[in-house]
Amino acid sequence: MTMNPSDPANFSRRAFLKGASVAAVGSRVGTEFSKGAELDKSSSILDKGSHPITLQVNGSKRELKIETRSTLLDALRDSLDLTGSKKVCDRGACGACTVLLDGEPVNSCMTLAFDAVDAEITTIEGLARGDELHPMQQAFVEEDALQCGFCTPGMVMSAVACSKRHGGSPSMDQIKNDMSGNICRCGTYPRVFKAIQAAGKEGGR
Amino acid sequence: MKNEHEMRVGFAGDNRKIKVDVPEGDLTPWDLDTKLESVGGRSDRIDAFAKVTGRAKYAYDINLPGMLHGIILRSPHPRGSVKSVDLSKTLDMPGVKAAVVMKQGERNRIRYVGDPVAAIAADTLDQARDALSAIVAEYEIEAHNVELLAAEGAPNLNENNISDPWPVPRPAARRRPADPDMELEVSEADVSAEGTWSMEVQTHSSLESHGNVVWYKKETDSAEIWASTQATFGARQALASALDIPQDRVTVRAEFVGGGFGSKFTPGEEGMACALLSKQANAPVKLMLDRFEEHTCTGNRPSAVIQIRAGAKKDGTVVAWDTRSFGGPGCNGRGGSTSHHTNYFDNAKHRRIHVDLATDTDASRAMRAPGRPQGVFAMEGMMDILAAKCGLDPLAFRLLNDNSELRKAEWQLGAEKFGWAEHYNASPGSGEDPRYLRGAGMASAFWGGMGGGKHRVTCRIHRDGSVESRNGAQDIGTGMKTLMAMLTAEELGISPEQIRVSMGNTNDPPGPASGGSTTTPSLSPAVRHAAGLAKQELGAKVAERLQVDANKIIWQNGHIGLQGGEMIPFQEACKLIGAEPIEATGIRQANYDGYQDNVCGCQFAAVRVDRETGLVLVEKMLGVQDCGLVINQKLAESQVIGAMIEGISYVLHEQRIMDPKQGRMLNGDFANYKIAGTLDMPEMEAIMYSVANGKNNVGAAGLGEPPSTAAPAAVANAVSNALGLPMRSMPITPDKVLAALHSKKK
Repeated sequence: MTMNPSDPANFSRRAFLKGASVAAVGSRVGTEFSKGAELDKSSSILDKGSHPITLQVNGSKRELKIETRSTLLDALRDSLDLTGSKKVCDRGACGACTVLLDGEPVNSCMTLAFDAVDAEITTIEGLARGDELHPMQQAFVEEDALQCGFCTPGMVMSAVACSKRHGGSPSMDQIKNDMSGNICRCGTYPRVFKAIQAAGKEGGR
Repeated sequence: MKNEHEMRVGFAGDNRKIKVDVPEGDLTPWDLDTKLESVGGRSDRIDAFAKVTGRAKYAYDINLPGMLHGIILRSPHPRGSVKSVDLSKTLDMPGVKAAVVMKQGERNRIRYVGDPVAAIAADTLDQARDALSAIVAEYEIEAHNVELLAAEGAPNLNENNISDPWPVPRPAARRRPADPDMELEVSEADVSAEGTWSMEVQTHSSLESHGNVVWYKKETDSAEIWASTQATFGARQALASALDIPQDRVTVRAEFVGGGFGSKFTPGEEGMACALLSKQANAPVKLMLDRFEEHTCTGNRPSAVIQIRAGAKKDGTVVAWDTRSFGGPGCNGRGGSTSHHTNYFDNAKHRRIHVDLATDTDASRAMRAPGRPQGVFAMEGMMDILAAKCGLDPLAFRLLNDNSELRKAEWQLGAEKFGWAEHYNASPGSGEDPRYLRGAGMASAFWGGMGGGKHRVTCRIHRDGSVESRNGAQDIGTGMKTLMAMLTAEELGISPEQIRVSMGNTNDPPGPASGGSTTTPSLSPAVRHAAGLAKQELGAKVAERLQVDANKIIWQNGHIGLQGGEMIPFQEACKLIGAEPIEATGIRQANYDGYQDNVCGCQFAAVRVDRETGLVLVEKMLGVQDCGLVINQKLAESQVIGAMIEGISYVLHEQRIMDPKQGRMLNGDFANYKIAGTLDMPEMEAIMYSVANGKNNVGAAGLGEPPSTAAPAAVANAVSNALGLPMRSMPITPDKVLAALHSKKK
C-alpha cells in the first residue's frame, strides 16, 4: 500500500484513513509485504523486534529503532521524545496526533512509522522558529483557542493545513469542514475558527 | 480580631454599600469602587505558549530513562469474582519487568466489565500488550444487569411516564421530608402538568486519559510522580499510601492536565497499579489508560429518569413542584444523578424524592455540575410546558417566577442580545420553510462556588525584579495560572507578563482539589494576600531608602515612592532586596457574609430541525453568566462557551450504549461515542455579568460548572419549541425527532 499524500488533488482525509488502515492490517498479518520491508535491501523479511529506520522530522534526520508495527505517533513520542503530538484515541478519530507529511495533515496514530520514512514530517515542535511563534500559533494564543491544551497541537497542525489549502482565507464552512477531524472536550471550537481567520494569509505558512 | 469595613457591592441593577468583617491581617477588599488595571482585562493565557508549541508536558508526555510501560488486565465479565490469576507465563515474556494481581483474597469481586484484575509493566507498550494475553485469569461468573430500568426497585415506564413503584428514599438520603399534602397541592392548582424525562450515561471523555508516571526510588525510599489529576495533594496522599512510604517522600507534579471534568479526583486503581509496579521494578513506570478504558473504567455522568408534577395559578405563579427520580450511578456510584435549582418555586410547595439504583456498570463520578444538567433538563422542560398551559411566553413565565433579581436582569439582557422575540416560534411545530422547523429555548443557571479552605500561596520578589506566585494545586485548563499572574500583577502594579506562576507541584503550598468550581474563588484571595504582604516588605525597604515612614509609601504606575515626591521604578526598587528574595505567604481567610452566596446565569438557544432527517442543528446560542469579579474576561468567556458546547454535545449526541447480554459498552471509542465537533457549532456568544459579591478580598466565584447546568435544557427546549412537542428523552437523536414528527402526523 503506497500513497502520495503530497498530491493534494488526490488527497482526502477519508482516503487517507482507508489507506492507513489497510497498511496497518497488512503489516500485522505479514510484515514482508509492508513498505517498511523494502528499506533493508539485504533482507526481504523483517522479523519481530526493533529495526533501525531514519525519519526526517522538522528538518533533521533522526535515527531510531522501532518495531514494524509501531505507529508514527509512538515513534515520535516514545523514541524521539517529541510529545507535542498527543495520543488520545489512537484510532484516527480525534485528530490530536495530527502532523504534516509532506505538508498534508495526517493522523500519526494511523500511519506506520515505516511508511513515513520517505516523507518530510512536520510536528508541532517544528512550527515555531525558536521562540518566535508561527502566525497560527500566535493567533491561537491571542484568541484563547485553547483551554486544557491537550487537543491544541493537533488543532494547530490541522489549522495550518486548512489555511494553506484555502490560500490563507478559508470560509467558515471550509474551516468547519477541514477541522472536523479534530475534537476538543473543553469546547474551544469557536475560538479556533476565529484564530484561523485571524491568522490570515500567514496562517498556512 | 476582625475589622469592620464598608464596601460597595452588587451589580448594575442593585449596587449598595454593606459592612463586612475583614479578618485581621487581610487586605482591604476590592469592591465596585476599586479601579483595577490588570484584573478584568483580556490578558492572554500565560501557559498558552507552552500549549501551542507542544512544549507543555502533561503526565502522558513524561519520558524517563529506563521507564517501563504499564497496562492493566480487565475483567471481560460484568459481575462475579476472580478465582485465580496466574502470572507465571507473563513474567517470562520479552521485556516484562513487573506484575501485580489486583483482585485476590476477599477483595476479588468483579463489579463491571473493566474491573482491574492484574497489571504488568514491560520495556515497551507493545511488549506489555503482548504479555497481557499470557495472563491466565479464572472467573466465577454471576448473572448481571446493566440497565437502569431493569434494576431492582426500578419503576415501570408507561407511555413515557414512570409509575409505581415510587422511590422510597433511605432516611439518610432524604433531603426533603416526604410531604403527604403534595399530591393535593398539585391536583388542586389551577393549571397542572406531569411528565417524565430520561437521560443516558455521559462519559467525561477528557482528552488526556487517566494515568500517572510513578518513579519509585529504592535507594531513598522516595517517589516522584507525574499525575493527570484534579487533586495533586489527594494524589500524593493516596499514592504514598499505595507505595507504603511517608507522604514527605512523595512529590506529585501536574503542571499541565488534559481535562478532568470531575473524573480525576483520585489516582484510582490505575494509580495504585502504577505505584505497585514501580516499586516492584524499582524503575519509573508510565501507566496511561487507553480510550476504551477511559470510556468504561473512569466514571461517568449517571443516567436518570425524572418525573415532575407541577401546578401553577392562572396568573402563572408556580404553586407546587413535585419531583420523583431514579438515578443510575453504576455499581457503587456517587456523583449525583439528578438535582435542580429551586429558583422558580422557592415559595411554592415543593418536594424532591430521589433514589439511586445499582447496576453492574462502572461507578459514576462527579461530572461538571454533578446531577444538575440532568435535573435542570427536566425542570426547564416542565417550565415551558406550564408556561404554555398558562398561556405565557417562556420568558415572561420565568420573569414572573424567578426569585433572583440578578437573574431577572440577566434574562432581560440575554433575551435582548439573543433576539428572543425573533427566534421563538410562537406557533410551535409549524413554519414556512418546507425543510426545516425552527424554534428557541432558554434555561437558567445556578451554582454556589464561593470557595474557602485554608489554602496558602507564596509570593517571591527577587532582586532582579522577577516575581513568582506559587501554589501546589493544579490548573486543569480553567486558567488559574493566568489569574494568579493577573492578581499578583494588580497588587504590585506591574504587568502580568512579569509574573512567573508555578502550579501543580506538591512541594509548593497546599491548594484545593479542582471541584465544585472552587479553585479560583478559593485561591484568588490567598494569591492577592501573598502579593500584598510581599508588597508591604518591598514598600518598607523603599521607605527606609527614602527615610520616610512606611505608611507614607504609595504605589503608582509601576513606581514606588512618595506622593508628589521621589518615585522609584519597581525594577529599581527590587535592587534594595538582597540575595534572599522577599517571600510572603498568603492565607485564604474565611469568607465574609458578603452580598451574595451563589452565581446565576441564563442561556438561550435557537435550533433548526430537519423534517426529513431528524437532525437538529443549533444555529445560535448565547449565555449570560456571572461569577463574582471577572478576573479575565477572555478566559471567562472561554469557560462559558465551552460549557455550552459540552451541553450541546450532551443533549444531542452523547450516550453510552451497553450490550445487555455481555454487559459491555458497545461504543467505547470516539468513532462511535459522538461528542460535538466543529460541524455542530452554532454562532456563540458569552456575556460575562460582573457582580461584586463582597465575599473576600477579591470576590471571585466559580465558573466551571454554573454554565453547564443550563445548556442541555436550553437546547432541548428549543427543539421542543421547533417541534411543538416536548422532547423529554436525551440525547435528542434523529430517530427520536423523526418519531416525534411521525406521532404528530397521526
